[in-house]
Amino acid sequence: MPTLSVSYEDFCSLLGERRGKEELCRKLALMGVEAEVSGEELRMEILHNRPDLLSPEGVARALRGFLGKGGGLPTYSLSPSGITVRVDPSVRGVRPFIAAGVVRGVRLSGEVVASLMQTQEKLHEFLGRRRKGSIGVYDLDTVEPPFTYTTVEPEGISFVPLDFGESLTPAQILRLHPKGREYGWILEGKRRYPLLVDRRGRVLSLPPIINSEETRVTEKTTSLFIDVTGEREREVQLGLVLMMTSLAERGFSLQSVRIRYPNRSVETPSLRPRRLELGEEEVREVLGLELGARRIASLLRRMGYGVEVRGKRLRVLAPPFRADLLHPVDLVEDVAIAYGYDRIPPRVKGVNTVGRKAWVEELSDRVRLVMVGLGFTEVMTYTLTNPGINFEMMRTKGEAVEIANPVSQELTILRTWLLPSLLQVLRSNKKHPLPQRIFEVGNVVLLDEGSETGAVERRRLGACVAGRPAGWSHVKAVVEAVLREFGIRPEVRAVEHPSFLEGRVAEFLWRGRRLGMAGEVHPEVLLHFELEHPVASLELEVEALGGEELKEGKGEG
Amino acid sequence: MELETHEARVLLFLRERGRAWMEEVEKGEGMEHSAVMRAVLGLAERGYLSVEEERSFLLSLTPEGRRYAEEGLPERRMLEGLGEGKRVEELLSSGSREEATIALGWLRRKGLVEVRGGEVRPTPEGRRALSGRWPEEELLGRLLEEEVSLPGLTPEAELLRRRGLVEVREKTRRLLSLTEEGRRRAAEVRIQEEVTELTHELLVSGRWREVRFKRYDPSEGVPPLHPGRIHPQQRVIEEVREALLAMGFVEIKSRAVESEFWNFDALFQAQDHPAREIHSNFTLSRPSTTRLPPSLLRRVARAHERGVEGSTGWGYRFNPEISRRAVLCSQTTAATVRYLASHPRPPLKVFCIDRVYRHERIDYKHLAEFYQCEGIVMDEGLTFRDMLGYLKLILHTLGFREVRFRPGYFPFTEPSVEAEVYHPGRGEWVEVLGAGMFRPELLRPLGVRHPVLAWGIGLSRIVMMRLGLEDIRDLFCNDLEALQGWGLRGR
Repeated sequence: MPTLSVSYEDFCSLLGERRGKEELCRKLALMGVEAEVSGEELRMEILHNRPDLLSPEGVARALRGFLGKGGGLPTYSLSPSGITVRVDPSVRGVRPFIAAGVVRGVRLSGEVVASLMQTQEKLHEFLGRRRKGSIGVYDLDTVEPPFTYTTVEPEGISFVPLDFGESLTPAQILRLHPKGREYGWILEGKRRYPLLVDRRGRVLSLPPIINSEETRVTEKTTSLFIDVTGEREREVQLGLVLMMTSLAERGFSLQSVRIRYPNRSVETPSLRPRRLELGEEEVREVLGLELGARRIASLLRRMGYGVEVRGKRLRVLAPPFRADLLHPVDLVEDVAIAYGYDRIPPRVKGVNTVGRKAWVEELSDRVRLVMVGLGFTEVMTYTLTNPGINFEMMRTKGEAVEIANPVSQELTILRTWLLPSLLQVLRSNKKHPLPQRIFEVGNVVLLDEGSETGAVERRRLGACVAGRPAGWSHVKAVVEAVLREFGIRPEVRAVEHPSFLEGRVAEFLWRGRRLGMAGEVHPEVLLHFELEHPVASLELEVEALGGEELKEGKGEG
Repeated sequence: MELETHEARVLLFLRERGRAWMEEVEKGEGMEHSAVMRAVLGLAERGYLSVEEERSFLLSLTPEGRRYAEEGLPERRMLEGLGEGKRVEELLSSGSREEATIALGWLRRKGLVEVRGGEVRPTPEGRRALSGRWPEEELLGRLLEEEVSLPGLTPEAELLRRRGLVEVREKTRRLLSLTEEGRRRAAEVRIQEEVTELTHELLVSGRWREVRFKRYDPSEGVPPLHPGRIHPQQRVIEEVREALLAMGFVEIKSRAVESEFWNFDALFQAQDHPAREIHSNFTLSRPSTTRLPPSLLRRVARAHERGVEGSTGWGYRFNPEISRRAVLCSQTTAATVRYLASHPRPPLKVFCIDRVYRHERIDYKHLAEFYQCEGIVMDEGLTFRDMLGYLKLILHTLGFREVRFRPGYFPFTEPSVEAEVYHPGRGEWVEVLGAGMFRPELLRPLGVRHPVLAWGIGLSRIVMMRLGLEDIRDLFCNDLEALQGWGLRGR
C-alpha cells in the first residue's frame, strides 16, 4: 500500500483544527486510512483505490468532511489562464496526450515543496510508475508561453536536466541521469522522444523522464505550471485534477490551459463533478441497514459528495478526483464508512450447508496418521525449485513448469517429484543424530497438454530414512505398511532408475495403476547432496490410495 | 538384619574354607573389586569376619629390564669379554658407548674390576664372579617368567629398582577370616540370584520368584526418544480447516498453474492493475498459454471495458491474449470464483486452503510460496451486516475474542473490510483478514444474481501467532531438532 508522511503540525493546519494524536489516528482508521504518529511525523497508509488521498491535502480534505466540518461537494474556482499548449502531430506514436494547468498565488515553504514532491511521486506510482501519466511541475515565471508539446530525435537537442551540472542530449539523459536510467524503459524502442518547450524553444521537460534545471520550483516561486503527459487521455486528465485539487487545499488559485491538438482543442483541467444516482433500496439491500434518504444524504455529504434528495432516490454529485466510482455500490461503501464500520451491528443469517473436507485432504490426513505411527516426522518444503536440484543432482533429465520471470536462479521451476526436496532437508539436518526418518505429503506439478492450464498437480507422499535401517527391505516394508492401511496388496516390479542403486529400486502397481516407487538412493546422488550416510526413499501417489469404494458416502467437493 | 546379595555371596564363599584372600573371592564369585570391598566392610562392621592386611611388593620388568633379562646384564657381558685386561678406550668403543659406560661403572662399583693407568683388569672377586649366577640375575630370571611378590624389598630388588630395570608396586592384600558369629550367620544364608532383565525364560519357568531384580537408579539418564509428528504449520492448517468444516463450509482446491483470466480477469482486476505487473507475479514460459471458456471470456471482457448494469467498467481495451497467459496462482480467490462460475445458485458456503505464489525474494517478512485460506458465502438477502457477522463468527471459532473492523480495498469487493484481532501477547491489534462483498462486475458475467460474501485469512499470520514465530521463513522450518523441540505448543 502507498504510504504518506507529513508533519503532524502541517496536517493540523491543513485540517483547520488540532486533534489529539491518538484520536486523529483512530478517526483516520475509521475512514480507511491506517495512520500512526511517531514523534512529530504522521505516517499514513492509503488504499489503492483512492488516489485523491495520496496527498496530505487530500486526506485533510476528506477527514474534515468525515468529522462533520464542512463536507459536501468541494467547489473550485477555475479561470482561464489564456496559456495554450500546441500539440505537435509527431507525439501520436510516442506519448499522445497532455493536460496542463496553472496555479497562482503560490507561497511555498521548504516543507510545502517537500510535500508537493511527495504527492507527485505517489501519483507517479499510481499512474503505473509514470507509464500511464507523468507529472511535471515548473516555475511559470522562468519560461514564456505559449508552449509546444512535440518530439525530438535522441540527439536532437541538449539542455541541463534537474539535479545535473551539465547540458545533456535526451539520449545521454537516458544513459547517464539517474531518472533516465530509472524510467528510460518507458521510451524503449521509440525513435523520437517527447519534449515540452516554450515560445523561445527553451526546454521545460523531457517527459516522462525529467524537467530542465532552469524551471525548478523553489521557495521563491509564485506561479506554477503543471503538465501531465501519457498514453491515455483519461489518466492524463485525472493526474492533473488530482495534482491541482490538492494544491487548491492550500488556498492557491487554479487556472486552466488550452490544449490544441491538430484537429481539436480542450481546456484542462476539467473540474466538473460527476453525476450518479442512488436509491434507499440499494443501500438497504447491500448494507442491511434501514436508512432513510435524508440520512443517506447527510452521510454522503460527510464523504464529500453533493446530494439532492428526490423522494426515495438521491442525485449525487461526485468530485472530479473520485476516479474510483464505477457503480452505485461504491457510493454504498462510502455510506457505510460514514455510518462507521464500528457501529454497524453484525448479524449471521443462517446459510444451511453441510461441511465437507476435500477428498485429497482427507486421504492426506490418513496418510499422515500412518506415517506418524511409523515414527516419521513431517516436513514441509517448497514446490518452487530449480532443474539442478530436481533433475541434474538426481542424475535425471526432464521437463517442468518453468517461470518466465524468476526472482532468483534458485527458484525457476515447480518440482516434479518430492525426493529432491527431502534430500535437501536431510542435507540441512546433517548436524543432527541418525537415524532420521522424514516424510512430506505435498504437491508436485507436471506438464500436461491435455489439461486446461497445461499442467496438473499431484498429491504425493514422499519419505526418506537416513542412517540405519536405510535399506531396500525397510522402505519396502514401509510402503507395504502404508498400502495395507488402504487395503492395497501391490504388485512389485523391479525397474531401473538413475537416482537409485541398480537392483535396489522397484515400482508398486495395483490393478494396473502405478502407485509409486521406492529404493536405495544412488551414492552419487547422496554425494551431490553432501550426504554421508545411506538413504532409502519412497514416493507414492496419494490420490491413487483412495479408490471409489473408500470414497463411498463421502461425496465429492 | 538382612544381608545384601553381595554380602551373602562373600559369606558363602568363606563358609567353605574359613579364610580366603579377597582377590580369591573376587575371582571365585566373579564380582567387582569395589563390590567385594563394600560387602567386606559391611560384614566386618557387624563382626562376621575379621580382616588381616598384608603389605607386599609386586615386582615386574621394565622394557629395559626385560632386554637385560633376555640378553644378560651389560656388566656380565663386559666382564666375560675382558680376559686379562683391556684398555678403557677399547672397551668404550666396542658396541654402544653409552651401554659400555654403564657396564664399566657397575663393574667398578661392584669391585669386580680395577682401573689403573687407562687399563681395566678383573679383580680376584671378578674372576670368581664369572663362574656363578648373581642374585640380581637370579631375580631377573624369575621375573621373566612371572610377576614376583615379596613381603619386603631385598637388596637385589632394590638394586634393580634403582637401575630402572624393575617396577615396584606396593600392594595391600586382605585376608578374610570368618569369626564364630560369621560362621553361624553363614550357615543360615540362602543365596538369591540378582538379574537385570526379566526374561521370557525366567517368567515361564517360574524362576523369577527365586531371583532378585537389580535395582535401577531412576535419576540416571536414558537416550532420548522422539515421536513421529505432524509439521507445526500443518497442525494449525488442520485446526483452521476443522473450524470451517464445523461451520458447514465445503472445501475446494485451487491450482498451482492458473490462467491470468481466472487469477485476475474473472475477479474484475483490470489488466493494467498494479498487482498484475510483471514484478508482482510469476508468469510462465512453460506452459505459456491456457484454454478459456469463450463465452465467459467475452462477458468478462465486456464487464472490464464497459461494465455491467449500472457500472461504467474500467474503460480500457481488454486484451484476451493477456487472459490466456499462464501464471502461478497468486490468490486462492481464483479457486472460489471458478467454483462460483460452475455453481451459481445459492445456498453455498465453500472455502479453499492452498498455496499461492508471489514474486518475492525470500526474507524474514516475505515468502515466494505460502498458504492462503479463502472462502465465500452465497445466499439470498445477505448483506454487509452478515459479512461482519460471518467474519466475527469465523474469528471467534479460531479463538480470537476481540475483533474490530475498518474499511479496506480489494479490486473485486465492495464494500470491503479489514478485520483486526487483539493479540494479548503483543498487546496490539493485528490485521488477519480481508473481506468484502463481490462486486456486481464480477458476479454478473458468471451468471450469479445473489449477494456473495468473500473473505481471505492471512493464514501465515495466524500460524505465526499460534506458534509464536517472528520470522516468516520458520513456517517452513524443517530442522529436525527444532521440530522435535516444538512439542504440542501453539494450540
